[in-house]
Amino acid sequence: MATTVISPDTDVVTEYAGGTLAREQVSLWRDGLRRLRRNKLAVIAMVFLVLLALETVVSLFWTPYDPNLVGACPTYAFPSAQHLMGCDDLGRDELSRVMVGTQVSLAVGLATAFVVLVVGVLVGLIAGYLRGWIDALISLIINIFYGVPPILPAIALYVLLGRSVQNIIIAISATAWMDMARLVRGQALSIREREYVEAARSSGSKTRKILFTHVFPNALGPIIVQATFSIPIAILTAAFLTFLGFGVPPPQADWGGIASEGLQSLQAGFDPYILLFPSIAISLTLLAFNFFGDGLRDAFDPRQKR
Amino acid sequence: MTRGTLVYIVQRAVLIAFTVLVVSFGVFYVVHSLPGNAFISDRLHGRALQLLLHQYGLDQPIIIQYWNWLKGAIHGDLGISLVTRGAAVTPIVMQELSVSAMVGGAALVFTVGLGLLFGVLAAIRQNTWVDYLFTTFAVIGYSVPSFVIGSLGILVFAQWLNTVTSGAVYYPLPWQGTYGGGGISTLISISLPAISIGLYTSGQITRITRASMLEVTQQDYIRTARAKGLRARVITIRHALRNALVPVMSIMPSTVLGILTGVLVIENIYGIPGLGKEFVESIFTHDYNLTVGVFTIYTVLIGVANLAVDLLYAVVDPRIRY
Repeated sequence: MATTVISPDTDVVTEYAGGTLAREQVSLWRDGLRRLRRNKLAVIAMVFLVLLALETVVSLFWTPYDPNLVGACPTYAFPSAQHLMGCDDLGRDELSRVMVGTQVSLAVGLATAFVVLVVGVLVGLIAGYLRGWIDALISLIINIFYGVPPILPAIALYVLLGRSVQNIIIAISATAWMDMARLVRGQALSIREREYVEAARSSGSKTRKILFTHVFPNALGPIIVQATFSIPIAILTAAFLTFLGFGVPPPQADWGGIASEGLQSLQAGFDPYILLFPSIAISLTLLAFNFFGDGLRDAFDPRQKR
Repeated sequence: MTRGTLVYIVQRAVLIAFTVLVVSFGVFYVVHSLPGNAFISDRLHGRALQLLLHQYGLDQPIIIQYWNWLKGAIHGDLGISLVTRGAAVTPIVMQELSVSAMVGGAALVFTVGLGLLFGVLAAIRQNTWVDYLFTTFAVIGYSVPSFVIGSLGILVFAQWLNTVTSGAVYYPLPWQGTYGGGGISTLISISLPAISIGLYTSGQITRITRASMLEVTQQDYIRTARAKGLRARVITIRHALRNALVPVMSIMPSTVLGILTGVLVIENIYGIPGLGKEFVESIFTHDYNLTVGVFTIYTVLIGVANLAVDLLYAVVDPRIRY
């Protein structure tokens, strides 16, 4: 008797003789990527993010006008063929400023995610695997800051450190790693009791080796998902900071800052486009990161439901 | 209330107190380390400045200043404002707290109401256009920053509508807080800020409600209820939703944090004289005691809110005991 196996997305029909039912071997990663690819929203989001990254690279070398050039066009000029997004209160080209603003958002988002990944995972692994006083101490710190909106320490720290993109990243990362550490600690606590870890321990593996070859890979799915979601959260917090006036040093453009200027112009009685364009830009970016993160979660961390 | 509950409350109260201690010292240290001080605009120099700093105790080592502040704070005295010379911080902060609490409370009601409604509707119409509409709306809700929604609210309600109806529709924008009183005009002025804040957090509630409703409705007792011939509405609300609330409660702490952040931002957009506006202003003006006072109130507020959430947990799910 021959069994026919159809693999789900290649439509390759494989004939097996001998009657044993064989299934195509799929690794966790291929399986996850396959599920991600089938998620249309996630794919669209991914395409958008790639385009956004390209736009950021372009803005490093070329923008239609100098984004900081005062008087590139008439003050409050309405969007036109020459100035697609119009001009702001100082006659700076809005399109150029929105383009350059991407740099700040992406830099903050990606750098914070990186810090969260490194610090949060390390601290979480150590706390969850070693337990004891070090876990008690780390948990205490996390519990203390659990009850504080991240934006408050971020504001205080940022004002202390001074205005720069780098300090926004530090101010946000200072509390952002804690969510990741909490998650990884929980994972490590459960994984350290599994048989394979016990086997590794009894056969004399070093703690560091157990952490990185046994515990970490088995918690990787939730870690990647959490790291992805830390990007939009960081971008949002940075936008709040800059919108509230704790921005990057002028004349550097960022979306929160432009939106804040736009709101002031609006309240002074001018047209709303200065407010609208950076608002649309930041909303679409956050939307793309969230849809992409959702797709990743469905693909790699199916137990989680939120 | 059992003995265990009391012990639990006391334990949590100790953690809150410890949090306040650590966080207030941190903020105290940070704001006092900022370059410049509250009197810089007075064009005071030399001896006059020294005298003024001495009068407010600002020339002492930071640990001693903090100790003095802490002694007062334990008795409910958060010090005096440095910008509004001599005004006590505690009454200012308490008044602002009442304003922020009203905005935040309205946002919470809106968040929970809309989130539960959309979540339940999406779940009982799973994989139909209703489901897709509400789940997409939820992601959009927590992707669009509250300052964008707030600004758009100003654009539409305070400017556009006003112009279109040539002044007939007037949205009272800067809500100054009602100290007592209230009524329909307060409700209207508070609704726009509350919606701007609540859309973000309601998205999360929609998603978790939908997920947990889908899980609950697959269970046997729902089938039993249906077999008994109960009406769909009764099953959904009394049998399914009640049990689906447990996971929803678990994200309430993050909802509370989201609303507080939202209140902070929205107050600054709409010019609402609450804690968030004061916090930002006091940092700019170096009004140390106000900054630390507002931060402390925030910390206490969140601690108490999270404790309330955890106690409500036991109400929603009687299996949980403390």
